[in-house]
Amino acid sequence: MNIIINREKILVPLQQVIGAVERKHTLAILGNVLIQSENKQLTLTATDQEIELITRLDVSVEEDFSATIPARKLLDICKALPEASDIKFNFEEHKVTLHSARSRFMLSTLPARDFPRVDEIKSQTKFNIPQKDLKLLIDKTAFAMAQQDVRYYLNGMLFELNKEGIRLVATDGHRLALSEYNEINIINIDKQFIVPRKGVLELARLLNVSEENISVTISQNHIRIETSDLTFTSKLIDGKYPDYNRVIPIDGNKIMTVNRELLKQSLQRISILSNEKYRGIRMTFSENNLSIQANNPDQEEAEEELTVKYNETPIEIGFNVTYLLDVFSVIDSEEVEINLKDANSSCIITSTNTKNFRYVVMPMRL
Amino acid sequence: MRKIIHIDMDAFFASVEQRDHPELIGKPVAVGGSRKRGVVAAASYEARKFGVYSAMPSVTARKKCPELIFVKPRFDVYKSVSRQIHGIFQQYTDLIEPLSLDEAYLDVSENKKGLPTATDVASEIKQAIHRSTGLTASAGVSINKFLAKIASDYDKPDGLFVITPNRAQQFIDRLPIEKFFGVGKVTASKMKSLGIRNGAELKQWSLEELVSLFGKSGHYFFDVANGQDNRPVVAHRERKSIGAETTFIEDQTSLDRLIESLQGIAQEVTRRVSSQQSAGRTVTLKIKFANFTQITRSHSMLTPVNDYQSIFSTAHYLLNEAFGEGMSVRLLGITLSNLDKKNCADTQLTLRF
Repeated sequence: MNIIINREKILVPLQQVIGAVERKHTLAILGNVLIQSENKQLTLTATDQEIELITRLDVSVEEDFSATIPARKLLDICKALPEASDIKFNFEEHKVTLHSARSRFMLSTLPARDFPRVDEIKSQTKFNIPQKDLKLLIDKTAFAMAQQDVRYYLNGMLFELNKEGIRLVATDGHRLALSEYNEINIINIDKQFIVPRKGVLELARLLNVSEENISVTISQNHIRIETSDLTFTSKLIDGKYPDYNRVIPIDGNKIMTVNRELLKQSLQRISILSNEKYRGIRMTFSENNLSIQANNPDQEEAEEELTVKYNETPIEIGFNVTYLLDVFSVIDSEEVEINLKDANSSCIITSTNTKNFRYVVMPMRL
Repeated sequence: MRKIIHIDMDAFFASVEQRDHPELIGKPVAVGGSRKRGVVAAASYEARKFGVYSAMPSVTARKKCPELIFVKPRFDVYKSVSRQIHGIFQQYTDLIEPLSLDEAYLDVSENKKGLPTATDVASEIKQAIHRSTGLTASAGVSINKFLAKIASDYDKPDGLFVITPNRAQQFIDRLPIEKFFGVGKVTASKMKSLGIRNGAELKQWSLEELVSLFGKSGHYFFDVANGQDNRPVVAHRERKSIGAETTFIEDQTSLDRLIESLQGIAQEVTRRVSSQQSAGRTVTLKIKFANFTQITRSHSMLTPVNDYQSIFSTAHYLLNEAFGEGMSVRLLGITLSNLDKKNCADTQLTLRF
């Protein structure tokens, strides 16, 4: 079986699916990419058995066939070949030979029938959403997901569907990020599910800012997202997400407004001299003034002053500067609003133009 | 050359009890709970003659010595006596490394009183301890910790034994292998099966051979067999872990009951960690079963924690993973390690879901 594929037609699809290929895998075949042609359509599939990525190539093949090839080696070879090269794939039993100009590579293959596939998805809920909108929702919240937390359900992102739209929530127990999207009419269904961290990060990488409507299908155990050239499937985390509404403060009464870029730059400078591990900083809010201080175990200090809009009683509060910087990096409005209650209660940070993205950060005790 | 003294109080807890209750003098005494779940914490020399030793289940001890008198431990008293002894050490040196309430290493290469020899220092300390507490101690004097510890054990009780530098190697060569500190029953029988019965025979083996046979301890065995022990006397040992545990009155078989106890243990660990102004990255759950076998399970986090919620939920998770139907649990414990001293100021508060 022979196919000729132009380097440019396989490189991007390979780079898309490679995210699912684990560097350390338990099954040899999980290090391979499945290449197959069905009804003249050539596809690449990679999986780590938690997520599965399928890309459709713009290459037409007459005959049906399938094989699995070591994914990273194939990607490295394609990357290293000159631009616009034609690559001839010659599939034989147990091996594939790649010819391109005067280069030749022989790779071992494993049988396609052994490649693990996701079970049939029994759709329970389905909706469409513009690709760029889903990407935005994820990009604005993913940073707050937990990593390696024993509360395994926090190592993922909560998707909540209801008649008002979609909500995405991520939290690691110290801070929380929430995106809301109402320009959609999802059939009257209340549904919550948790997409694992790796799936969320892959999705953020794969989605782009196109207007194209993509379809989202949710079954008991899986989520599947389909664009014109890509099918993404991820297992869902089987667990109960905590009631995040309980930790979104509603009783904050001290509102400060400030230029986002100026505050972010101040925080970046201050962070240089904060304790490297705990990253604590002290913020003192007083009449139209914000003073920020940090010091480290070497007794070095930094201090910044900023003009802000603040007309409430003065308050002094500690924060992990990384948590604040994460938030000010995903908000893109000119001004931001921080709503505080007291030094021991969480604050809520939003842009001044929209409340669709909300960030809750717990302080550090001073 | 360094001058190291190892001081070891003789049958410490039991001797304190005999001192405070003269009717116990000359009788076999065990400090510890007498009830069926108790364990001997210390035994008087009279009790040791019957084969009663510390860490032995009280039931076994009673069988070995039916006249054994059980005394409830009074840790507050032992602690205050220990402080008294520590005060005596401080008159001679500041390089004191306590190993427990009744044992310490002293580096007296320089002594504050300007006594000519370490033997004089050891002898004065023993007398001072006896004068102020009425208790006897054994002292070992030598050039490193390993030899000092062996020396203190050599002439117990009320002993003072010196291993001089020129006799050190000869002493090690003749030392039976089971007397080496760090050689327990299992290692001793493994060594004997290899034909190692004493220091001289241990010295025949190369470092590579000992490491391949005994792992990390191989380095230690190689060094001490060759008279090398450069471990310093460390005056302020950083705490490596903070923990708490509970032994149940009755063995527990229900997961729900265990979780309940785990809450109390996690609270205690949280209290201790915060009183130390510390935090740790690793939570370890210890489970001892009714048959005295024990397992530990650990989980490490990316950042140190010191709050109840993190400690409890991690321990709870580990318990859920480890627990199986039909398990009968005698003891449950939580330890926080990979500690990180931190400023009080840096305490991240958590969201309360």
